[in-house]
Amino acid sequence: MNAPRRVVSFVAWSTALLLGFSIAAYAWNVSWTPFNRINLISDLVHADSIQSATVETTSVPDSATQAANLPARRFERYRTAAQIINFQTDSNRYALPHFLERLHTLRQTKKGKIRIAYFGDSMIEGDLMTQTLRELLQKNFGGIGVGYVPITSIVAGFRQTVRSEYSRGWSDRSFKQNPGNAPLYLSGHAFSSQSDWARYTDRTRGDSSLLIQKYLLCGPDSNASIQFQQQERLITANGSFNRILLSTDAGRTLSLSATSNTPTLYGVSFESPDGIILDNFSFRGITGIELAKLSANWLQAIQQQQPYDLIVFQYGVNLLFRPMDKDFRWYGKAMQPVIERFKQTFPEADILVVSTADRAFRYSGGWASAVGIDSLVAVQAKAAFQSDVAFYNQFATMGGTNSIVDWANRNPAWAGKDYVHPNARGAAWLGESLYKAILREYRLYTASINRAKPKPANTP
Amino acid sequence: MTSFDIQAFGEQFLYDPKNPLLFNNGFFVFFFAAFIVLYYWLRNRLTARRYVFCFFSLYFFYKASGSFVGLVILSAIVDYLLSNAIYRQQNPFRKKGLLLLSVVFNLGLLFYFKYTDFFIELSNTLFQTGFQPLNLLLPVGISFYTFENLSYTVDVYRGQLEPARKFSDYLLFLSFFPKLVMGPIVRAHDFVPQINRPWALQESDFAQGFYLIFSGLFKKLIISDYLTLNFVDYVFDDPARYTGLENLLAVYGYAIVIYCDFSGYSDVALGIGRWLGFTLPVNFLSPYQSGNITEFWRRWHISLSSWLRDYLYIPLGGNRGRSFASILFPALFFGTLFWSAYSLFGLSLLTASLITLALLSLFLLPAILQRNKQTAFTGMNLFTTMLLGGFWHGASFNFLIWGALHGFGLAIHKLWMMGPGGWVQSRNGSSTVYRIIMLLVTFHFVCLGWVFFKAGSLEIAGSMLHQITSDFSLSVWPAFFGNYKTVVGLMALAFLLHAIPDDWMSKRIHLFARMPLIVYLLLFFGFALLYGVFKAAEPVMPIYLQF
Repeated sequence: MNAPRRVVSFVAWSTALLLGFSIAAYAWNVSWTPFNRINLISDLVHADSIQSATVETTSVPDSATQAANLPARRFERYRTAAQIINFQTDSNRYALPHFLERLHTLRQTKKGKIRIAYFGDSMIEGDLMTQTLRELLQKNFGGIGVGYVPITSIVAGFRQTVRSEYSRGWSDRSFKQNPGNAPLYLSGHAFSSQSDWARYTDRTRGDSSLLIQKYLLCGPDSNASIQFQQQERLITANGSFNRILLSTDAGRTLSLSATSNTPTLYGVSFESPDGIILDNFSFRGITGIELAKLSANWLQAIQQQQPYDLIVFQYGVNLLFRPMDKDFRWYGKAMQPVIERFKQTFPEADILVVSTADRAFRYSGGWASAVGIDSLVAVQAKAAFQSDVAFYNQFATMGGTNSIVDWANRNPAWAGKDYVHPNARGAAWLGESLYKAILREYRLYTASINRAKPKPANTP
Repeated sequence: MTSFDIQAFGEQFLYDPKNPLLFNNGFFVFFFAAFIVLYYWLRNRLTARRYVFCFFSLYFFYKASGSFVGLVILSAIVDYLLSNAIYRQQNPFRKKGLLLLSVVFNLGLLFYFKYTDFFIELSNTLFQTGFQPLNLLLPVGISFYTFENLSYTVDVYRGQLEPARKFSDYLLFLSFFPKLVMGPIVRAHDFVPQINRPWALQESDFAQGFYLIFSGLFKKLIISDYLTLNFVDYVFDDPARYTGLENLLAVYGYAIVIYCDFSGYSDVALGIGRWLGFTLPVNFLSPYQSGNITEFWRRWHISLSSWLRDYLYIPLGGNRGRSFASILFPALFFGTLFWSAYSLFGLSLLTASLITLALLSLFLLPAILQRNKQTAFTGMNLFTTMLLGGFWHGASFNFLIWGALHGFGLAIHKLWMMGPGGWVQSRNGSSTVYRIIMLLVTFHFVCLGWVFFKAGSLEIAGSMLHQITSDFSLSVWPAFFGNYKTVVGLMALAFLLHAIPDDWMSKRIHLFARMPLIVYLLLFFGFALLYGVFKAAEPVMPIYLQF
């Protein structure tokens, strides 16, 4: 047989058959996903039948809004990008009133500590996003220090703002592993050991001559002790939660070793005597409802020692672990009591719910935002709305639908190729955006108090 | 409702930057069918066939890279004119001048598009010059066809080749669409004589071509694409999030991915060439079966390594001479190494000097042992070749490090053979155990190179090696396996396929030669559906194993 002819027949036959099947699939509305992917004419034909068979999913019966019968107009403001939303008031008023007042006082008197607890998942791991927010707030309002540092951390090597070195023997109870009955700290961890060591160096920027306070955060023990900077130190730890000032000097390094009398340790904290202190509480893989494990009494004990002025909850990507999920109402029901509990136990604090960031899956048309992301954002906003706390739409701020795809494909990239995690570059931008949103509220606040009090004459 | 979109139909024929033409596009099926019918129809009219071939190749180029097709035509014109001028020129001085012109033109083109931004950024970092990067797009295939141009004019200059008489011969040599995007790099003296040959094929050529095309597509579209998207990219993107075991497996995975991707594409090119009556040079010979790094380079990207041997290593002096460049590049490298160890990594003067000297001694020691100065220059020539060969792959320090690593690997292998290795081999050379140990050592050395080759930056490569060495625990295996079953399965399959001897299939290809066409068609549809299944598969999302 003539071999060139064989090549031609093979190519002609295979093309003709494939084309024939492709046309037939549309003509008779046959849809079979593996074949749809190799259909030769799929770019040329708009057929709802085939496309929709793969994309269509069970729809959520109602949008979260209608289901809750919320005052729709006010609630709909949750869609606003790059703004902190206070649902209960008109848009000229500011969100986070208590926090802004404290910021204003700090700026004028340069005295006092403002504490921020920033809760989140792997999105803020390694101090991503929060390091930018902390740095900008401290630059503008004062303060130095990295704040809370856990005893051990899976991202210790990755975190830029603090250098953590420690021996391997520390035992770590957490939300995910051996939680036990004794309380876990806000970070979701509690550490113990009788002989291990650890050393931390605060590497945040700031004047190196300034004083920095080094605190030990620990549980109760009647005659507790610890080795601090190579010297045994007796500590008074009577409360269920204790903040023990280890030293106040310009040094940025803290080293400690556990003794046989060392109580449960939660971590250490580097803080300036005055200014902004921002604690990063990241826990990989959680959604925030794990915080329900922290009892009200325990939270009150922490509040007495460490009154926060602003508490931020940023969760969501871990709910989007199945590409087709759209119904997240259960999450709203589970998360709202958590917000309420923090609200009651930290009465002085303003609470801010930060929505999920964008997250993509590979659908038939390539990488695209999770189909359920809009309803998740709405559920999160609803939880904030019903608890009467502030809301920040991180998803819209990023650019909304498919923004993570754009971020991951940028050169240089802003997000990882898992289409979930913004990288250092993207996270810095998110941190800066949130900072700007806070600053916007702050300006509204200062404008309103300036309006309220008559201007003294002869001042510029 | 089903409706035919006439505008989308028209747009199919234009270049779409988001969807450049590759062998796996639906459009390629039509393209190839139309081409093959014309090619068959014109099989006895060689001139018309050549023009059609040129047209389809340039059109393929246009669909793959838009207006950059102009660059191919331009460089074909320039090199066609220059090579003929070189050939006719009797005055040796002018002849050299013309060659120099061709070298400057081709390397200039390559440099402008590939390396300008790298050097702008380097200058901005080192001297705070603040130049704006040009953000140039890299024209598809430029690294390949500039090398083909160079080898062509050099061969003409050396008198080894009569230049192509017809411009269309030369244009087709450069733009021949099967090898356009990813090689192999062909030589004019092999290729041009095949252009005007009648289309004659053996029965086994059809079977061989079919085998090459579909095994190549399988490697590229199924193994490589799946592993890249569902595992390898995640880990290389942010290694610090993963345990040592995951990082190590991602490196193994990438070793498969780069091989399947590159050799798969080459195989498709070879297969299509075979069907059209062209023999292209074999590009890969199961490289991970190599027992040492020298052998690896005889099996990996052969068309590039032989190009580098003929047009870089030998002009540098090869194993018989030396030139200014044999010293220049190693001197630059070792100077930079010392400087960065001392001032970038803050090592003491003594440590930095010791490291530099230790690496330098890899090249000096064989010369001292053999009492032969040339041995050192040969080593330097080889090192320069690997260094520049690394840089050819891309404009970044990672590729330079990758090249340097392989340069060191070759030197270490040489030293090893002069000492213990030679002794073992002379006594027990054919022992299976020795062969397996050397194979594993070589494979892991190559993998170490891949870390730098693939990692987006030096920090990522460093973090990857850090995770593998300091955060390694087998305890995460069950969870890993649970999440990545298909990934693990495909990796195992890939290694298994790789272990098959290279001539296994060609020895048996005659068995398939007489298979009826319908069997081939069934195989084709089977493959297409398998591809559809993998394309439609739900993506495997990363799990973050460490809690």
